[in-house]
Amino acid sequence: MAKIRERYDAMVIGGGIAGMQAALDLGEQGFDVLLVEKDPSIGGVMVGLNKVFPTLDCSSCICTPRMAEASHHPRIQLQTYTEVQRVEKNGSGFTARLRKKPRYLNDDDCVGCDLCELACPIDVPHEFDYGLGARRAVYIPHGNAIPQKAVLDVENCVFCGKCEKVCPTHCFDFTQEAEEVTTQVGTVIIASGLQITPMAAKKEYGGERFPNVMSPLAMERAQSSNGPYGRVLRPSDGKIPRSIAYVQCAGSRDRSIGIPYCSRVCCMYAIKQALLLTHYIHGLDVTLYYMDIRAFGKGYEQFYRRAVREGVKVVKGKVAKITEVDNRDVVLRVELLDEDGRVEERRYDLVVLSQGLVPGWHVGGVIDAAEADDGFLLTPEPKVSPSRTTLEGVFVGGVAGGPKDIPDAIVEAGEAAMEAANYLRLTNWQSHSAGPVASSEHARPTVGCEVC
Amino acid sequence: MSEKPEAGKTVKDKRSIAVLRERHGGMSPELKERFKEQQRIRKLLREALKSGPKTVPELAAACKLDPPVTMWNVMAMRRYGEVVESSERNDYVLYALKEG
Repeated sequence: MAKIRERYDAMVIGGGIAGMQAALDLGEQGFDVLLVEKDPSIGGVMVGLNKVFPTLDCSSCICTPRMAEASHHPRIQLQTYTEVQRVEKNGSGFTARLRKKPRYLNDDDCVGCDLCELACPIDVPHEFDYGLGARRAVYIPHGNAIPQKAVLDVENCVFCGKCEKVCPTHCFDFTQEAEEVTTQVGTVIIASGLQITPMAAKKEYGGERFPNVMSPLAMERAQSSNGPYGRVLRPSDGKIPRSIAYVQCAGSRDRSIGIPYCSRVCCMYAIKQALLLTHYIHGLDVTLYYMDIRAFGKGYEQFYRRAVREGVKVVKGKVAKITEVDNRDVVLRVELLDEDGRVEERRYDLVVLSQGLVPGWHVGGVIDAAEADDGFLLTPEPKVSPSRTTLEGVFVGGVAGGPKDIPDAIVEAGEAAMEAANYLRLTNWQSHSAGPVASSEHARPTVGCEVC
Repeated sequence: MSEKPEAGKTVKDKRSIAVLRERHGGMSPELKERFKEQQRIRKLLREALKSGPKTVPELAAACKLDPPVTMWNVMAMRRYGEVVESSERNDYVLYALKEG
């Protein structure tokens, strides 16, 4: 991996789809971009999704070309497995202090052969599969990871040294330590993405207690062809589920858990997952329990109607409680709103809680931009400049600014890149470190000085 | 690229795993216990599968393990090529040891 330079035009925090889009848009205008990602691979949440709504395109088929483009772009330097420690205003630009975490190998030498992973003797729950599957203590994050380099999770290492012995390039370096680096950047785009509402947020739903109460992201992985099971199975015992319920608004629109807002994507991802489940498991009974269906985007209402036509059941009802019964089946106690509020108990093989979106990262103590009451970055001019934060020169793209779907996240990231480019021009920021331009396509913008 | 040792041997220099072990004070007692338990479970599962393909509940019963724990371990073995899907029986997948 290239060394972090002293100056860049822009730093983008977060290598998910929004961060990559912002970095690419700036890079295409000839600006030097440092793209910082805390995880060992870029791609964010999107690269782990199965398909996208409403087109049912393969999510990684859209995301991975963008990942490759960002990693190969001559104006973008990728810095994975790196955390932002502090960003301070310094004139019109910023001083950024970063912490590079050790992979315990020289990544220029690692060829991604995964022999070390195969030799490692211990399995641990894989974060990429939300714990459903396993990885080793030394591992390549996933099949589509960029960079395709191994990383050693020292907290789970049994110190057997087998990885070192089988490595064909002898790339391991166990002397590595976390390294602090400082750089100057002209502008900052925060695209730190999302997490879902904690599964245990509503105790009455049994998330994290009952293995057959799943998170929507775990279901995405279960449905993926490269998922942990290779097909959709119950986490408790590997049964092919014959009945599945979705509980809508399980982690949004609920003041009792401090998330009063609508997360905007839950209706659509639940409809998409439910529809796909009917394709994957013949004869499946899949039911959505909802308060309102919010299918507001282009083609979303048609997609919802298609799902209902193809066998997804939708019931207007509020789930009060989920209990586990024999064989680890789950029982929903539901108030049927279209049947005069009649309360009924219904048994399922599996339940998915349609959790909402919360910020993936908080800037507190790191960047002096304000957060709104909901924890997302405050954008004081949401109508005319939705990516502007309270700190001049710092912009926000994607879900870091509020819940939104993938198309909106990409559009907003593009807007953040344009605002950042304008800021660089207005402040006349010079990175001074720009190397030779690879092609005219990536040339720095002219300033029209007429000297030539 | 680092210095190349003989095949199957490590470079006994500052890059050796011993450095990392020393710096981290070795395995924590919790990790030691977890690793030992995982090895015990894998041995039980391999033994149970020697008599033929089984579903996760059958394996759990044969090995006296909690079904979710069995499921996770079987999926880990599947991922790393020890176990393959064989067929289906009554809504459950049968898993078998990979031959060869």
